[in-house]
Amino acid sequence: MDKPSGDGSSGIERDELLAVCGVGAGYGGRQVVTGIDLTVNAGDIVGLLGANGSGKSTLLKAITGQIRLMSGRVAINGIDLAARPEAAKVGFGLAVDGPELPAPLSGRQYLDLVASIRRCRIADDEWAGRIARLRLAPWLDRPIAEYSLGTRAKLSIAAALLGSPPLLIFDETLNGLDPVAVWEAKCLIAELVGGGSHAAIVSTHAVEAVPAFCTRAVLLSEGRVVTAWDTAELSRAAAAPGGFEDSMMQALTKGQGAAAIDGATAAGRAYSQSA
Amino acid sequence: MRYDGLVLILLWHELRGTMRTQRPYDLAWITLGGGILVGYGVADAVVALRNASAVLRHEDLLWMIAVPSGLFGFGGLTASAIGRLTAARAFAPFLKALPISLEARCRAAGIAALLMGIPLLVAAGLMSAAASAIAGPPFPLAYGFLASGLFATGYLAGLALGIARARRGDQADPVLTSRSCGDGSHPGILGLLDRGRPAWLSSWAWNIPGRVRITWRLVASALVLFIVVTISMAASLVSHAAAPAAMAALAVGIAVFMLSLRFHPLGSPVLRASPIGFTHARLRLMRLPFKLSVATFVLPASVAVAAEPASWEVAAGSGIALLALNAAYAAFAAYFMTAPLLAVVSFSAAIAFCGYESFEYGRTVLIGFATLVAWLWHKARSRYNYG
Repeated sequence: MDKPSGDGSSGIERDELLAVCGVGAGYGGRQVVTGIDLTVNAGDIVGLLGANGSGKSTLLKAITGQIRLMSGRVAINGIDLAARPEAAKVGFGLAVDGPELPAPLSGRQYLDLVASIRRCRIADDEWAGRIARLRLAPWLDRPIAEYSLGTRAKLSIAAALLGSPPLLIFDETLNGLDPVAVWEAKCLIAELVGGGSHAAIVSTHAVEAVPAFCTRAVLLSEGRVVTAWDTAELSRAAAAPGGFEDSMMQALTKGQGAAAIDGATAAGRAYSQSA
Repeated sequence: MRYDGLVLILLWHELRGTMRTQRPYDLAWITLGGGILVGYGVADAVVALRNASAVLRHEDLLWMIAVPSGLFGFGGLTASAIGRLTAARAFAPFLKALPISLEARCRAAGIAALLMGIPLLVAAGLMSAAASAIAGPPFPLAYGFLASGLFATGYLAGLALGIARARRGDQADPVLTSRSCGDGSHPGILGLLDRGRPAWLSSWAWNIPGRVRITWRLVASALVLFIVVTISMAASLVSHAAAPAAMAALAVGIAVFMLSLRFHPLGSPVLRASPIGFTHARLRLMRLPFKLSVATFVLPASVAVAAEPASWEVAAGSGIALLALNAAYAAFAAYFMTAPLLAVVSFSAAIAFCGYESFEYGRTVLIGFATLVAWLWHKARSRYNYG
């Protein structure tokens, strides 16, 4: 369980949508994530977990080409991100953070913008269905400036799905949604990924939802992958109530002394049982 | 008062944060290169003033009207920029939730702007006194004080206007403000022009959802450009000389391009994490400003040809110069993508410096300017692709 899946992988497999090899990245010369190895294949929904400041967003920014790699290599759909950024970016759809959305445009204009970049149309029935499921339709002709956090997140999710890119990336996007919207967004992602040609990376703090939604999970701490779970391990960990949280707490507190581990896991178990 | 230093503290932390995110190598380049350039500029200005002192000493209009009114205007413009900077901090959304009164915010913004204006005031006074000592009227010290006073008057007037505007903006209803721009469901003419791939990019760049809002600033800018063009065209037609209208065509063309070009979407993950290259996105953002620039160029350039048909090459030359200047400015605007005012000031300074120096050193300076443009373009592209 301790060994991250995809660790040390080399070469491009047929259904390998993302290969991250020895990636280090950060800001202003300061490395935030170090030596990250991660492979995402079609059919995977990878939960990216970690405390605040553990490097989740930095890793996702490095994967999507928003910050320069200090070391290592990222390949999307077999295309090296550093060598051919434009071609590589065809391979993923990122749900942009709410505050980064173009506030003066309406939701429809924003979707038009993304669709025109991805060379697809948003007028078909499938799209109307997705918009309806996310309950976005009443807002589409209003300026994004008027949107709430949750409505912005819905728009970001809708835009990330445009053109059906093979790899979908959500950086805590689901956190701001209401329960119905979270459910619909998860269903949309699961349906797409279930088709066998897509994958998703979902960074989240909703740890309890990970075993049911994700097929794999990766835990970051202090900029490194400390633990990863595959499907079977996730199922085993989630068999008991609060089992996955226990498993995560153990991984996080490893090396901090037996007392800390015992205290944390006992508290976690007590919380899970009371919940 | 309790919150008087708030804006200064915020600005100081921002400056420290920015310095920390810079690599030491880049900081050294900026400090050393900038210092050398400023030193060279000052030395060059002193030499030029000395050489022209015999003529300048008798230019009473220059020293009594042009320089003082220039300093007054410069003070106002500087205060407007600094006031906007400080007001943005005083009225920041995260501060709105705190129990700080509107008056306290205005005072904090004003005090920060006043303190930031002191070194500028001293610099304006010292430079005026030095210029007066080298090539100006007698009593340079008195002239320096007079110049400082005029700069301070302009600065205070500009600051008062800026703070009042920020105060009004803070009290305005953001939803009503956004509604006054309309929404995307009924796009105006701009909406029809802004459908090329990627769609709505110019609307985003101009912060308008497809409809141009008529503001007093837009009307004033259009009026100034209209007057300049009309007077120049009349001068050309009366004197049967192409030069006035051709020069106006060039000046208005580049002014429109500089006023309308906005590259801030290049910094957004919406574009940077999308499969669209830097060159494509940049050219798309340049498309409408370029069309506007050409549209404003065509009429005075045509008048220049009509006024003196034999000198058609003057109009053609200003057209080529417009293309070159637009391309050069686009590199500055891409580099300073979130600070268009800085792009305008640095481009104007670079053009003025190159124009002046090229008389002395010829093509070498133009090659240096072209190298600077290429370097800015490369840095902007690199930042877009790799952060």
